[in-house]
Amino acid sequence: MILEVNDVRAGYDRLEILQGVSLSVAPGQIVGIIGPNGAGKSTLLKSIFGYIRPFSGRIALRGEILNGCRPDQVMRRRVGFVAQAGGLFAEMTIEENLLLGGYSVGDTGTVRGAIREVYDRFPLFRERRRQLAGSLSGGEQRLLAIARSLIIKPELLLLDEPSAALAPRFIDEVYETLRKLNAQGIAMLVVEQNTGVILDTADRVFVLEMGTNAFDGTPAELLADDRIRRLYLGSEAA
Amino acid sequence: MLESIVEFLILGIVLGGIYALFSTGLTLIFGVLDVINVAHGEFFAIGGYIVFATVVLLHLSPALGLLAATTGSFLLGLAVYPLLIAPLKRRLGRRPQGPLFLVLTLGLSTFLQSTLLAIGGGDYLRVPPFARGMLDLGFTAVSYQRLLILAVATLALVALFTFLHFHRQGMAIRAVALNPDAAQAVGINLGMIFTLALALGVALAGMAGALMAPLFNVYPAVGFAFTIKAFAITILGGLGNLAGALLASFVIAIVETLSVLVIPSQWQNVIAFAIMILILLIRPQGLLGRADR
Repeated sequence: MILEVNDVRAGYDRLEILQGVSLSVAPGQIVGIIGPNGAGKSTLLKSIFGYIRPFSGRIALRGEILNGCRPDQVMRRRVGFVAQAGGLFAEMTIEENLLLGGYSVGDTGTVRGAIREVYDRFPLFRERRRQLAGSLSGGEQRLLAIARSLIIKPELLLLDEPSAALAPRFIDEVYETLRKLNAQGIAMLVVEQNTGVILDTADRVFVLEMGTNAFDGTPAELLADDRIRRLYLGSEAA
Repeated sequence: MLESIVEFLILGIVLGGIYALFSTGLTLIFGVLDVINVAHGEFFAIGGYIVFATVVLLHLSPALGLLAATTGSFLLGLAVYPLLIAPLKRRLGRRPQGPLFLVLTLGLSTFLQSTLLAIGGGDYLRVPPFARGMLDLGFTAVSYQRLLILAVATLALVALFTFLHFHRQGMAIRAVALNPDAAQAVGINLGMIFTLALALGVALAGMAGALMAPLFNVYPAVGFAFTIKAFAITILGGLGNLAGALLASFVIAIVETLSVLVIPSQWQNVIAFAIMILILLIRPQGLLGRADR
């Protein structure tokens, strides 16, 4: 497994939001996390990336314990994080955002090379590299955030609601990009409210409910589970 | 009359350079750490004391004195975040922190002033000019000392802006000021950047103190008036906005200097605060600030 989360309890101050969550991500897999608001989905991603320190439990990357690591230390282990929204430096240019994406790499030549690869993949950003990131549309900003996370050549990407607040056309574009990246071997752990799109994309799905695991299986198994389907998919899959 | 205006304009520009050096440091610290550094004036005073020690006591060159003052205050500044601010941040967790940091830096200000008083005594110390003589412009003359101040302040500010825009750590400082969460997501160590920004900010204050030492006497509270004025400049420019602070520094310094042509000089110091209050009423976010800050 590339990522293993075992019985993690975490939260803010003394408020325990995750009450013993476990999951795993295999190399090259896309794993989705769904659940109602307040279930602890984003808290789980933040615990893995080191934004918050788990109260207890074990988070391991390729067997190496991550508990207590800061985000910059997690990132140096080739884990990228794409925030829900507002994860860019809106008042900096597209190129400055990409340069900062390589902050943890250090070597300028390597970063410049990675930026050239990003420009090849997203020619739009090469053309508009001097433009402020905040002037891009919502969908373009989400793609830029994903593009920026590629500078470190991640083995694992943590994505917090990549479809949030996007028009359907951009959701398709974002997920198409994610599928292409996954086809090149990048594993992904994706928190998503849009259950339809994540069930179409993920190899495995975890459902969180009140800070605990409520379901773990493939999208097909989830669709076959009447209770979970009723609770989280509503009429969509009925 | 025109000659007087040009003469006072030149004096205003020189004063603006010093205000800019001092206020840019304060603004940098506020923009990155969200902390109003009440002790900023004491680092100005420390710069003055270091230049006095190197130039007057050790008979070294003014250039070395300036370097020692800047480096010395930078090194002192490196200690402030890890020893004072970070421990308080850790203990406070997610609770609102602003007022407590104000009290903390007020405590630091008192501590540094008392330490300077204990080490240097309360006497006014004189530092000789770094450059002697006047540049004759025909209708008026400007001292080389003032021109030197302007040149060094300009160089330092150009270096700072170049660093912030083109160096990896400088860009990281801007990134943290804009969006700390996103900065962490690209692997920036917030603690390291907070430490660096604070040290850079107080190094600018120390440099300003060293540059101004030949024009003012050096004493423990010499930076107080500058601190108060820098608050007005920071608010006028837009909290945390470096370009705004730069613009506001020159606006206030020039208006202040030119004001003596039309109002009694004892009212000169009121100008900065009158402009600040006016701007706060018309445009609360300052000249270049964003409405959401």
